[in-house]
Amino acid sequence: MEWNITTLEELEDILWRCTACGNCKAAYNYGPPPEFGEICPAGAEFGFEGFMASKGKIAFARGILDGQLEWTDELLDAIYKCTVCAGCQNQCELDHKPFIPEIIEAMRRKSVKDGVGPMPTQKKIAQSMRSYNNPYQGPRRVRMDWTRPFKKAKKPIKDINKEPADILYYVGCTGAFNLPARGVPVATASLFQKLGLDFGILGEDEICCGSTAMRIGDADEFKRVAESNLETFKRLHEERGVNTIVTSCAGCYRAIKKDYVLSSEYDKIMGGITVIHTVELLNNLFKEGKLKFTGELPWKVTYHDPCHTGRHLTKFVIDKDGSQLWKGAYVGLNEEDCLYDVPREILQAIPGIEFTEMERIRDNSYCCGGGGGVMTGYGDWAAKNASKRIEEGMKTGAEHMVSICPFCHYNLNEGSRRIGSEMKLYDLVELLDQVIAEPK
Amino acid sequence: MLAKREDMILDELVSIVGKDNATAAKHIRYAYSYDLSFVTPKLPDYVVMATTVEQVQNILKLANRDKIPVVPYTAGSNIGGLCIPEQGGILLDLKRMNKIIRIDAESHYAIIEPGVSHAQLAMELYKHNLRWSWPVGPPSASVSSNALCHGIGGLSGRYGLNSEEITSMEVVLPTGELVRVGSCAIREDSWHSVLPMPQLDGLFKGWLGTSGVVTKMGVRVHPIPPILKVFTVSTHNLEDMTSYMVNLGNYEICDDLTGVSWWLSQVPIPYPYRPKPDGAPEWYCFGATYSWTKKEKEAREEIWQNVLDEEKKKGTSIQYADYPEEALKARTQLPSRIVGSTKNYTKMAGGGISWPGTFTPANKWAPVYNKWKEILIDHKLSPATRVTNYRGVHYGMLRAMIPFNKQSAEETENARHAIVECLKVDLDAGGIPYKPPVDFAAEINKRAHPGYLSLLKQVKQLLDPNDIMNTGKLGF
Repeated sequence: MEWNITTLEELEDILWRCTACGNCKAAYNYGPPPEFGEICPAGAEFGFEGFMASKGKIAFARGILDGQLEWTDELLDAIYKCTVCAGCQNQCELDHKPFIPEIIEAMRRKSVKDGVGPMPTQKKIAQSMRSYNNPYQGPRRVRMDWTRPFKKAKKPIKDINKEPADILYYVGCTGAFNLPARGVPVATASLFQKLGLDFGILGEDEICCGSTAMRIGDADEFKRVAESNLETFKRLHEERGVNTIVTSCAGCYRAIKKDYVLSSEYDKIMGGITVIHTVELLNNLFKEGKLKFTGELPWKVTYHDPCHTGRHLTKFVIDKDGSQLWKGAYVGLNEEDCLYDVPREILQAIPGIEFTEMERIRDNSYCCGGGGGVMTGYGDWAAKNASKRIEEGMKTGAEHMVSICPFCHYNLNEGSRRIGSEMKLYDLVELLDQVIAEPK
Repeated sequence: MLAKREDMILDELVSIVGKDNATAAKHIRYAYSYDLSFVTPKLPDYVVMATTVEQVQNILKLANRDKIPVVPYTAGSNIGGLCIPEQGGILLDLKRMNKIIRIDAESHYAIIEPGVSHAQLAMELYKHNLRWSWPVGPPSASVSSNALCHGIGGLSGRYGLNSEEITSMEVVLPTGELVRVGSCAIREDSWHSVLPMPQLDGLFKGWLGTSGVVTKMGVRVHPIPPILKVFTVSTHNLEDMTSYMVNLGNYEICDDLTGVSWWLSQVPIPYPYRPKPDGAPEWYCFGATYSWTKKEKEAREEIWQNVLDEEKKKGTSIQYADYPEEALKARTQLPSRIVGSTKNYTKMAGGGISWPGTFTPANKWAPVYNKWKEILIDHKLSPATRVTNYRGVHYGMLRAMIPFNKQSAEETENARHAIVECLKVDLDAGGIPYKPPVDFAAEINKRAHPGYLSLLKQVKQLLDPNDIMNTGKLGF
């Protein structure tokens, strides 16, 4: 299988499109009223221009390519102290805009290729991937632990290896192995059962989507698991009747939707298969009248847009042949895949919910701080950054924060604990599971 | 073994600002070594982030003692290479001194620290229905640096340069001494005016960070009238446009009265040069006027219509015109991400943007522009030129935004050469460049009266006896 994963050298012409204007350093909208906010977690925390948004990262990339900068521990540290949240990308209007996360990850790939990256704690991820097929050093059997309540209740979840099903619920490693985030797959499966959906899981045979490996620059490990998954998806489609892959994990969703398409075989393998986030599936059912609320939840909540279900899914229009502006020009963007309205629609539809927005939302959402390998590489800073987001949520008067990403789930709860806040992060499916009863 | 001098200096800097805020790491220094302009990249030796006035004082005392150059830095978004260290030294990053200390909504002034950005101030001022003269630059750029360097903005037609809106300043001198100018010098919390005392603020405005570090600044802010009307016309030459702008300028009804050449009205500026379409006007103008009532707006429209009729009677090429939509949005909805990201300037060229940016009498705009056009087209660069009236009088900005492909050393040098040639033409016509890179400073000094240069050097020597502040930027 061929992969179109670019090297830093291949991106050199593109990164010279950056003017270093610094527009990327802050989130701003004219309004009126004007809206302004910090957007770069690393820039806000570490301050020097090199840490600051795409302007800083592109400086590093130029320095590496022109031979001015050699690998040092400090340079490596600075490159990995980026959550690759794409908040800076959202501010830019120039031709390198579509490639900003790609440039940052290409630097990381180069560091891995040159034998210096990723950071020591992140190397454990790569090792774990090779040993356990997940980044959590979790044995295969543990992947099924979250299903125990279902077995106990005699509502077993279909093993898709043994029984056909229309839907593959791709659980993801964080939901399966990260104890505080296990509520996400539990609520998802519970909801699916209540709604009578024909779904199954891969169980112990599920392997990591490769997102974390890709984010820290380990392209080889990403390709290994991605190829395996693509083959699995193809087999399930052909042999088990799977037409839809659903995931509650923003990282998996982003990886399958945006990283797997870099494979030369993607269209051939994934033809006839729809990849959808759980919340989008549920919202579709709600709109069709197939999901009905039976209870109330009198909570005051706010919503955190995960980077991976939001701006990371922006599609960029690039003038490939020079027929619109000039060859390689960034022409515009399409946010139809970005899950901004979908979670808000169904969240606000829950009876009793009082919804309030934070200042930085949607495409200008402030990253929780856990992405891009930062939660593994720099756990304390990730939690510190999450505390800032929790404080922003608290300012709205909301009691709790809701999101649709197990990474954000874990990290924002860590951030809340860190500052002794009573605000908790719940996944949207956890709320929905409370207000939808078993069918009679 | 004795520690190297460099290590000892870094240790001292760390003792002042803490280990997380001072570094000599090359990758950090590298990110400060270049900007948007054609100016050759140069590395500082250290980068320091200060968070308090006391830290700034201690850094400057150290630098003055050891004769180390200091480059003050806020956002680095100027296009004259003003923060590129000519002789290494300490790059003093002030972005973390970013408090809006007070907005006095009653007296209409704000007190800000150097790291306050236009976006940040815009959001806070709007809560009081107040505004500043927002420049056509990145929303992340510094308000105080723009004002100190005689930047202009969307209210310059009405109130003049942003530097004329400064009401008071707190400054750390290169020796580390803390001084104040304006009303805050007399009473700690009074920041309303630089007058009627001697205007010592002139010791710091237009000096490009070579005379001290401004740590607090008072600026006038103004109410936002609710009704915006933009008058748009076109002409086939700058002579006709100047006639219109001078005529309309007499009535002082526009917050911003700006003419732009066809090439600048494009988003982005064409690169390399291409001729404008046959028959397209060569100049467009927008006059942004704000009114409190419908009747006031109608009165302003009446004045504008009379001016337009008068100009038509003169037989000029003037006519009403639709200003290109995105360009108009970029210039009237400020601060703007469109211009902030340099999309309108250099998206097509890639990487680089510089200018001959000048203050020039209106009666010299056309002759200078016509020569610029020859020079620029000869260099295959678009004559993307702007003229703007200041404060109702008949002088103002004449500048050409010159994008270039910064990846190419040859194309960068081509742009630099063209820009400097353009500058010489303007200087010889009586114009003066603002935010000048060193190449411009050299041309200014060649032409300057000996008494001016002597006074400049004496004042510099008085304030900065060891020549540590942004060393070399004044071209001597």
